Amino acid sequence: MSRPGLARQSLAILGKDLALEWRNRARVVAVVLFGVLVLLLFSLAFGDKGTQVLQVTAGGCLVIALFLSSTLSLQESFRTEDHDDALEGLLLLPTEPASIFYGKALANTFFLVALAPVLIPVTTLIYQVSLGPTQVLQIAGLWLAAAAGLAAPGTLYAGLTTRLKSQDVLMPLLLFPLEVPVLLATVKAFGLVFDGDPMGQLSSWTQLIVAFDVIYWCLCGVLFRFVVEEAA
Amino acid sequence: MSSTPLVCAGLGRRFGTKWALAHIDLSVAPASVTLLAGANGSGKTTLLRIVAGLVRPTLGQVLVFGQDPRIATSYCRQRSSLVSHRGFLYPGLTALETLRLWSSLLTPDNGDNELLELLGSVGLGDEAHSDTSRFSAGMRKRLTLLRVRLENPDLVLLDEPFAALDPAGQVLIESWVGELKARGTTIIMASHAIERAKALCDSAVLLEQGQIAWMGEAAKMPTPGTDLEAQ
Repeated sequence: MSRPGLARQSLAILGKDLALEWRNRARVVAVVLFGVLVLLLFSLAFGDKGTQVLQVTAGGCLVIALFLSSTLSLQESFRTEDHDDALEGLLLLPTEPASIFYGKALANTFFLVALAPVLIPVTTLIYQVSLGPTQVLQIAGLWLAAAAGLAAPGTLYAGLTTRLKSQDVLMPLLLFPLEVPVLLATVKAFGLVFDGDPMGQLSSWTQLIVAFDVIYWCLCGVLFRFVVEEAA
Repeated sequence: MSSTPLVCAGLGRRFGTKWALAHIDLSVAPASVTLLAGANGSGKTTLLRIVAGLVRPTLGQVLVFGQDPRIATSYCRQRSSLVSHRGFLYPGLTALETLRLWSSLLTPDNGDNELLELLGSVGLGDEAHSDTSRFSAGMRKRLTLLRVRLENPDLVLLDEPFAALDPAGQVLIESWVGELKARGTTIIMASHAIERAKALCDSAVLLEQGQIAWMGEAAKMPTPGTDLEAQ
């Protein structure tokens, strides 16, 4: 009997995760609200310094909102697998653990990308910045790259910590240091989009984010097997 | 590749300071049905989980069709299947969606008609579009059995197959085991329903405190907890 390949198995896991999230939208709603709150809190912190300060910090605050929201979202991504030992059930099938990783990482990327249509307009409103169509496209592309860079290690660590009682504490502690390169590059790139890019540095920072995406997606796909199999 | 479904040699597993299994030497013949009996905590589930490759043995070796399930994981999982206490179900997915997920991970050839037929074969035809989180324990078990049908393995590991099932469900298990046996599938069954299981099994292994206390023909197996020396 021929078995489905890695791509097909990953898509099956992705489809399952999207269907479950669609039926129980609690995670998406909570993560979006959290992101909006983070943006609001930063605006309150910087608001009394004047409009110019708000505008200058907009890009960085938007990235931090994505970053913190991603932690909340990624922590939740394995909750459905805990119930009834569903993850163990997937591992017992002759599936590649990498397909579980790629399916779940794709779903997590999708959820982080789904934050963009809310958080970007909220940022333009609260931080009083105006974005042209080109800037919106640039932000959208960067957002996708950043989301992928956050989702891959996040999915790996969520799988690693899912059975631990202290997941809520451990997950950010493990994840934040690993995500620093993507975070820094995204802050720089967003800043260039918001404030202008006279030196043409945007492509360099974008390439850096994409390079980390490639490294994380390849490395985490290989490591995921050890994370879930060695848990037993 | 070896045709012997299972060989355990000097197998042991320790959890902390407690040995859940020790000195397990066992060989299971092809197309046989073996009963694993013993009190709670005697090591039945641990043994099945080691064979399924979910738990690493502390000592000794386990070979599934000649391969170590922790090394040749994919090969062993293609040839064996575990039905555990857990259903491996996702609350929020319907019975049909659950089967679709398993099917899409195992073989892309099954359409909805085949899957609905499968659901009907275990009495869940009318529940195809019901959320599995609303299923009773027996219904969940029936759905889980369909996983094995989709996998079509050569070695089936059953952990308490009769638990949570009504009499009709228990009869379903009996006929299913008979069907698998007739197809040449090897079955290892851990059960507390000794009399019912004995009737289905060729051989039996009685575990006590993680060690093999008795091994032989299923029909001659002493009742667990009795004085084995006297028998």
